Amino acid sequence: MNPDQLLERIAAVLRQDIGPAVGAEYPRTQAFMAAVVLQKLGRQLACAEAHRAAEAADMDALVADLDSTLATAVVPPAIAAAVAALGRDRNDAALCALIGALYESRTTLGATRFDALLGRVRRTLRAGIDRRMEFAE
Amino acid sequence: MTGPTDQPLEARIVDYLASRMPDGRDFALENVQRIAVGWSHETWLFDLAWREGGEARRRGLCLRRDPGNTLLRHLSSLEQQFRVLRCLADTALPTPRPYWFEPDPAILDMPFLVMEKVSGTCPNPWGREGRAFYQAAADRGTLPASFTATLATLHTLDWRAAGLDFLGVPPPGTNFARREIAKWKELIDVSGHPPEPILTDLIAWLEANAPSVDRVTLVHGAYRTGNLLIHEDRISAVLDWELQVLGDPMYDVAYVLSDLNREGTPLLSNLVDRDSFYRDYEAATGFTIDDGLCRYYNALYAMRSVAFWMSASGLYAGGQSQDIRLARTAWSVPVVLERAARELGY
Repeated sequence: MNPDQLLERIAAVLRQDIGPAVGAEYPRTQAFMAAVVLQKLGRQLACAEAHRAAEAADMDALVADLDSTLATAVVPPAIAAAVAALGRDRNDAALCALIGALYESRTTLGATRFDALLGRVRRTLRAGIDRRMEFAE
Repeated sequence: MTGPTDQPLEARIVDYLASRMPDGRDFALENVQRIAVGWSHETWLFDLAWREGGEARRRGLCLRRDPGNTLLRHLSSLEQQFRVLRCLADTALPTPRPYWFEPDPAILDMPFLVMEKVSGTCPNPWGREGRAFYQAAADRGTLPASFTATLATLHTLDWRAAGLDFLGVPPPGTNFARREIAKWKELIDVSGHPPEPILTDLIAWLEANAPSVDRVTLVHGAYRTGNLLIHEDRISAVLDWELQVLGDPMYDVAYVLSDLNREGTPLLSNLVDRDSFYRDYEAATGFTIDDGLCRYYNALYAMRSVAFWMSASGLYAGGQSQDIRLARTAWSVPVVLERAARELGY
């Protein structure tokens, strides 16, 4: 049995047998919540490997697109530095720093370029959050 | 109902209440119930029975204890809640009458307040039974009108005369929204949650688009079914005074209009028809509902929700709380971030 299947089975017992047998409201709620937690954890575990691969591919594509944009246009140094850091670190902290740099340079960039750059970043964010929704909902 | 000391909590509550009511004797608690709603303070409901002047007396009470590890962390204060309830006690707004606040943890292990147990029920709007309750009430029409009228009372009460200016009066301009953003940012920072790029985007957008506010009212901050006590088809008390501020009434209106607070129904807060709400609220307050402003505040609520869930799941992860509902909120963070992304147009 896979870990996700095990968690799903325990969740079912908590939901169907243990929770309904608890008389007091507070502990009964705790039993049902424990079932929800185990079920979500199980789904997250089941998706983990595929999500990691998709996330890495999305990050590669984002960095490539941003590098290509920067190769043909002059951008404020803060943005160039943030893109370089993203290429190096490829993590959420670097992505946050890039988003912060874009907003700070909004006036210098002008609305069209700001929207284009942020829009490209947002495409990656949308794909990531859609994946997380597979187990979070 | 026991606390960490040898004496059961119930007995210590009796001792405390007896000390506050020197003319009474033979005190006893009946129908003691810890309710499972709320994310912050522990809430206990009970009836106090005693004898006074040769007569048997009885009074319903509600006790809230602050375990110090609440979802709102340092932003939550029972003392402020008590103070707000005292200010509101003699206004037209239905609220529980506060009796005592005790900051000393030596009495009941943690600070607590005691207030009136107002008659009524508070059906959970997220459950099947609660949804059915509100749907039936919506069909009758009295409760929806009371919902809107009570919000109008809240927004038109003279907060200066009530002494509520201690909550902080925002100066004209963008200060109100910026102050809210800063408050929720602070909660996010202390939660210890890893960086979330959608949240960074949302906060930057909110800061860049903070609206200017020129009308200041009392704002409840979480005005919805589930935070309102209902008796005989009317609102008998507005509860959950933890998020109140002085600021833009559209902040509350946006919360009412938000689909955060309804499930599978077009009714606002599972109860009120949208057109009726607009008509009745505007007529009762003289304010015009600003849809653009409400959309902005809706995005701000997304940020606040993220802050709540990051804080809650952080408390469980850090071992400061054993409440499994808090553990479950780790999965609420992406759900609200997805909503935030949609608010921002992606």
